[in-house]
Amino acid sequence: MTNKKEVWLQKAHKTIDELHKLQPKLNAVVSFVDVEKQVDEALDKMGPLAGMPVILKDNVLYKGIRATASSYMLDNYVATYDATVVSKFKEAGAIIVAKSSLDELGMGGSNITSFTGPVHNPYDLSRIAGGSSGGSAALVASGAVDLAIGTDTGDSIRKPAAFCGIVGFKPTYGRISRYGVIPYASSLDHVGYFTREVKLAAEALMLLSGRDDKDMTSISTPLENVVEALDESLANKRIGIFKNVLDAIDDEDTRTLFFDLMDKAKEQGATLVDISMNTNLIKTVLPTYYIIANCEATANHSNLDGVRFGTHEDGESLEEIMTNTRTKGFGPLIRKRFVIGSYGLMDENQELLLKKAQRVRRKLVEATEKMFESVDVIVAPASSHVAPKLNDPSIDQLSDKYLVAENYMVLGNFTGYPSITIPMGMKNHLPLGINLLSKGYDEKTLLQIAYQLEKLTGLKGLKAKVEL
Amino acid sequence: MSFELVIGIEIHCELKTKTKMFSGAPVSFAQEPNTCVNEIDLAHPGTLPSLNKKAVELSLTACKLFHLEIDRLLRFDRKNYYYSDLPKGFQITQQFFPVGKNGYVDIDVDGVSKRVRINRLHMEEDTAKQFHRDDVTLIDFNRAGTPLVEIVSEADMRSGKEAAAYVEKLRTMLEYGHISDVKMEEGSMRCDVNISIRPIGVDAFGTKVEIKNLNSVNNVERAIEYEFERQKTLLLSGQSVVQETRRFDEATRTTVSMRKKEGSVDYKYFPEPNIFPVYVSDEMLAYVEANLPEMPEDRFKRYTHEYQLNETDAKLLVSNKALGDYFEQIVQLGGAVKLTSNWLISEVLAVVDQKGEQSFSQWINPTFFVELFELLDKQVISSKQAKEVFTWMLKGQSPKATVEKQGMSQVSDESLLLSWVEEVITANPQSVIDYKNGKDRAIGFLVGQIMKLSKGKANPALTSQMVKEALSKR
Repeated sequence: MTNKKEVWLQKAHKTIDELHKLQPKLNAVVSFVDVEKQVDEALDKMGPLAGMPVILKDNVLYKGIRATASSYMLDNYVATYDATVVSKFKEAGAIIVAKSSLDELGMGGSNITSFTGPVHNPYDLSRIAGGSSGGSAALVASGAVDLAIGTDTGDSIRKPAAFCGIVGFKPTYGRISRYGVIPYASSLDHVGYFTREVKLAAEALMLLSGRDDKDMTSISTPLENVVEALDESLANKRIGIFKNVLDAIDDEDTRTLFFDLMDKAKEQGATLVDISMNTNLIKTVLPTYYIIANCEATANHSNLDGVRFGTHEDGESLEEIMTNTRTKGFGPLIRKRFVIGSYGLMDENQELLLKKAQRVRRKLVEATEKMFESVDVIVAPASSHVAPKLNDPSIDQLSDKYLVAENYMVLGNFTGYPSITIPMGMKNHLPLGINLLSKGYDEKTLLQIAYQLEKLTGLKGLKAKVEL
Repeated sequence: MSFELVIGIEIHCELKTKTKMFSGAPVSFAQEPNTCVNEIDLAHPGTLPSLNKKAVELSLTACKLFHLEIDRLLRFDRKNYYYSDLPKGFQITQQFFPVGKNGYVDIDVDGVSKRVRINRLHMEEDTAKQFHRDDVTLIDFNRAGTPLVEIVSEADMRSGKEAAAYVEKLRTMLEYGHISDVKMEEGSMRCDVNISIRPIGVDAFGTKVEIKNLNSVNNVERAIEYEFERQKTLLLSGQSVVQETRRFDEATRTTVSMRKKEGSVDYKYFPEPNIFPVYVSDEMLAYVEANLPEMPEDRFKRYTHEYQLNETDAKLLVSNKALGDYFEQIVQLGGAVKLTSNWLISEVLAVVDQKGEQSFSQWINPTFFVELFELLDKQVISSKQAKEVFTWMLKGQSPKATVEKQGMSQVSDESLLLSWVEEVITANPQSVIDYKNGKDRAIGFLVGQIMKLSKGKANPALTSQMVKEALSKR
């Protein structure tokens, strides 16, 4: 036992040392966590996560540890309880070593809006890691840890996974409890994670999922043994190639990598089917997302008023205290989104904005469901290009150019269907990813196909070498 | 010109649950501030609501009692506004789909029955309590998240009396339904009244004034009467009624303006995304229907028919549910119905102010009454002694113990009684003469003397009979 303790402690400390070395380069850690007590409590645990150093995105609450959600507003907030996913980690014997940076409150796709500054891509420090779960993605990609929690409201796990060349997975909505996770938009928020191998993603799902009475949206639908099922071949699998997305991608290298992989899948017995959605309809994904996400977010974050916790600014009246606190506490992008959200919720606008967006969401969900009539999974490149430069002006802006190719993964949030990104190849030493979406509750098929594709890419365990 | 009152009432009522509407923290009254709270009540980041099943059950029961149509798909919405007593920055309520709608209650005013329609009943959560001091505001979050139902009537009432009868009717029904403590003075039931007046014969409504937070049924009536006069005076002097929120000042018995309505506030209601619609199962509905509690009318019927109590006594016991419950407790333990009712109404109510915060059974052990009645029945004590025994019951001493300690048993031994009778008659010859002259009150005098002689222990009925016999022999 003593020996085991030493081994685990050593491993945890080594990981923390590694994180410290990476910090000046990646800027991906917000807080480090003491491990001694955790190791003591984990010693009797067994299974694939026992003794494994893991990282939480800093919007996940771990009692006694700061949880800032990368916002100045929560700079001094120490969690008063454990998120359900943290309790699950404890049960599995995982050792939480750090909390990672995110776009402020999870709102963004670049991880440059974090209160602690931008996170750098481990393959090229002048590039973004993607967001909002950029800290977790960069740290898994660098090899510092094998598993890190992320959250995904638009594509906040699956996009950074693509930019960082790792596996990014979010299961069905409600599969992993959201209790104790600082929200962005409740109806779209998913808890998921990053790994460098599909197998570990499957193993982790067995341990982190399950109905939670503290989250009324969590599901009780039993999860099949997704680990045992991984070995099933691609024969008889029907892979839907998402035409709208491929058509919108102008980068030939991305297209070539993608179709090469599809050809290999076909050789393994998979049936490739072109599928598509009404072009006008798919262009509504981003505006629909913006309205719903910002409306929900505005209300979700009304608790951050400086009265009970968090940073606090003085004022002559309650209203002034709240106004000052929120003005200083949030970054400009957040304030902009709250204004949009609040506008969408106003009585005279709600019909035209929120309610309309919700109806369009329903149409998009139905159209997605329809595409699944003939296929098991829908696949497309997770991004049309490699990770953009940190100073790329197009980041987090609405742009017609990227309307479809860069935002279609939101369908996974609208539907709540499970979705995974895995690396599919390299361009100029920078990774590109492929995204898979399956039907709701069918993580088994999703992970099976991802596991088989991972074999074909030969990129299992892909790791970035960060020049220290 | 004569005017008519038009009154609608909104009642907020705290549900009698162990835990809060959306969190597992205990519901409490009068606990140390901020001790009955958890992370959900304080709206810490990452918290999510979990619907309280018991609160749903109680709301469904209330819907049944008020004949409301039940919406079996329970849906919740967010009402958004920033205030320090509202930790989340929104209240979870049922704006768009209330659990109950289109019901009614029948009220009784001066012997005339009237039906008041209920527009809706919905579930929501309470806010925190604030205490404003000179330079600070203190917040007690114990109340935050306490389950509430809001019951909104139609504007069907036409007088202060009707309004008071409506509130009282709801109050008793909610109490009998075990739905709420309905303590208006403690805020577990709160009443807002909307009042307008219009000339009789006119259909259009006048300008509405809202009086907030009336804390007793009497104040409902008083506030409406005052407001009626105030608005009438305004209109008759050519002024108009301003749409505003007012409060009732108990000291002056007037209403005072709190704030003018400046358009309606936009609460940006939208469906609560963290609570999927919940379908009320057949089982749950059947359970609620099968367990509908007895209502005051039913209890009254039972008391007058089954227990054969007279209407006055039955009414008294029914109007005070706690006393009625206590009455049944004693009867169930074996207390005779009529005797129990008499004792409770004449003796217990006379000293009820000594009860304080305790329940009746905490105050006087119900078995004491059964014991007392037994001692009376077996003529161990006289009814006069019984009253003394009762004073000891109030101090927590059982009747048997009192009888023993006070040497308090009744003398029914005829030879002893006879010796006292002879002694007293001999000592009062004038009484014999009076009796012979037809003055029956001599008997009472002599019995009284015997009582004195026996220190109250003589069996009064037997004594009286023996005195009569002895006198007739003289």
